[in-house]
Amino acid sequence: MKLNHFQAMLLFALVISIAFGFLSKRKLPDRVKYAVWAFFMFILIGVAIGWAMYPFSR
Amino acid sequence: MPDPKQSASVSSAAGRSEAKAWIVAGAAWLVPGLGHALQRKWARAVVYFVTVAALVAVGITMHGTLFTSEGAADAFDFLGYLSNLGAGLFYFIARPIASGAADAAHASGDYGTRFLATAGVLNLLCILEAYEIARRRKP
Repeated sequence: MKLNHFQAMLLFALVISIAFGFLSKRKLPDRVKYAVWAFFMFILIGVAIGWAMYPFSR
Repeated sequence: MPDPKQSASVSSAAGRSEAKAWIVAGAAWLVPGLGHALQRKWARAVVYFVTVAALVAVGITMHGTLFTSEGAADAFDFLGYLSNLGAGLFYFIARPIASGAADAAHASGDYGTRFLATAGVLNLLCILEAYEIARRRKP
């Protein structure tokens, strides 16, 4: 499977967010809301850490 | 004055509950989601099974490294082995497939290694939840 960095991060975030939604919440609407929130936080924080590391990459 | 017969039956019921919880935890380790299925938490059982399976499948197809106890050269390799082992049966199914296909030289191989480790660690969270449900500490 050939995934670029961003695709791998998206897939990872998607799978983990779904699992976290079911681990953390009981009702389906709460699970969906939590999973969506967790997904966007994974992406946001991943990109933020990437930019934070950027000055040290050169 | 406490009734000794009542105290004995309460402690024996607690002992049975503890034993049942450990059996549920063992089942949850062996097959991700089975601990929840045994307690009729069907949605969670399916989701945990599918998510752990997906992480293992993606990890293998990305040529990740699956650690073994024999190949553990240092503490980090051993921790990797423990995290991989958390996926239960999926680890033993993946071992013959992943052993010849690992590609640590490329980024995708590195990501695959992380996917495989995360599968095991995620299942450890699921095992803990199954145990807590069996102990009636969680719904």
